[in-house]
Amino acid sequence: MKQQKPIEIFTPPNILKAKVGGSGVGLDSAALKRAEAAMEELKTEFADWMNADIEALGKCRDAYAKQPGEKAKGHLFRASHDLKGQALTFEHPVVARMAASLCKLLDGSPNTPLLLIDAHVNAIRILVRQNVRDVSDPTTNAVAAELEAQVRELQAA
Amino acid sequence: MSGYRFDRLKVLVVDDNQHMRKLVVAILQAFGVTQISEASNGMRALAVMSEENPDAIVLDWMMDEMNGIEFTKEVRNSPTSPNPYVPIIMLTGHTSTDCVQQARDAGINEFLAKPVSVKAMLARLTAVIEYPRPFIRTPTYFGPCRRRRTNEDYTGPERRTDGSSETMWVTAKSGEAL
Repeated sequence: MKQQKPIEIFTPPNILKAKVGGSGVGLDSAALKRAEAAMEELKTEFADWMNADIEALGKCRDAYAKQPGEKAKGHLFRASHDLKGQALTFEHPVVARMAASLCKLLDGSPNTPLLLIDAHVNAIRILVRQNVRDVSDPTTNAVAAELEAQVRELQAA
Repeated sequence: MSGYRFDRLKVLVVDDNQHMRKLVVAILQAFGVTQISEASNGMRALAVMSEENPDAIVLDWMMDEMNGIEFTKEVRNSPTSPNPYVPIIMLTGHTSTDCVQQARDAGINEFLAKPVSVKAMLARLTAVIEYPRPFIRTPTYFGPCRRRRTNEDYTGPERRTDGSSETMWVTAKSGEAL
């Protein structure tokens, strides 16, 4: 006979619903418009935020180049992962794609050649500097595809 | 139309990236949330939780000292947790199936993938208000029910019945979502 274990299922009181005024109230349309406007206003700061993220990535890259190791690699992964998420929000989809490739390189490869890290970091810097956001741009796509292929090859080896 | 009284809510935003915190806070404020606390990692968030007792948490995954997964497990399982039932919305760039499953198994309520958008944030907030999931306690998991859908055709011995509070015995199956 198989071992048995207890499962308890219960519904805690819905404090949240009571606090906001009950069920099915929804958000008033003015608040939704306000939120969209707030997002639009913040977009004026996105460029500065992206630059700050790129700078952070560069510092982590320099630290890793100076003293390679798991700790520095972890920091570099964190910076590239942050950039991956942030770049999408800040409307830099191509940067997000390259940051994702860098994440894959740092997370899944036993060896992480600095040359390939630098290829990613430099490409990201150029994309931001030249404000390249078009996902259909053939040159950008070719670079991104090549970087991704290099990472795949490295991981398959 | 008068909407949700978000001004009555206390929300904690946990993210080590100040820009992302600023963005989330701005969206919440525009919704009408006025009581917003911030923390830059899980350790600090636990301290803020004890002081502020937030009604909901928007949480990043990757952070130093204590990441979002560790924080969620601590909130759900620690005997000293200020509120093991608090709704947690995880906001992250980790979107692979494995990652979603890992977050779900830690005990998050809702998963919000970056990029952040007003509509997606509202949808997750509405979900935790309108459709709170029951809580499950097993020897290996405590948190919101991880099932997203019910197989109405299933009639086997492990069929879970509805009920406000109950304890049942089921055949153990390692790794099964309960």
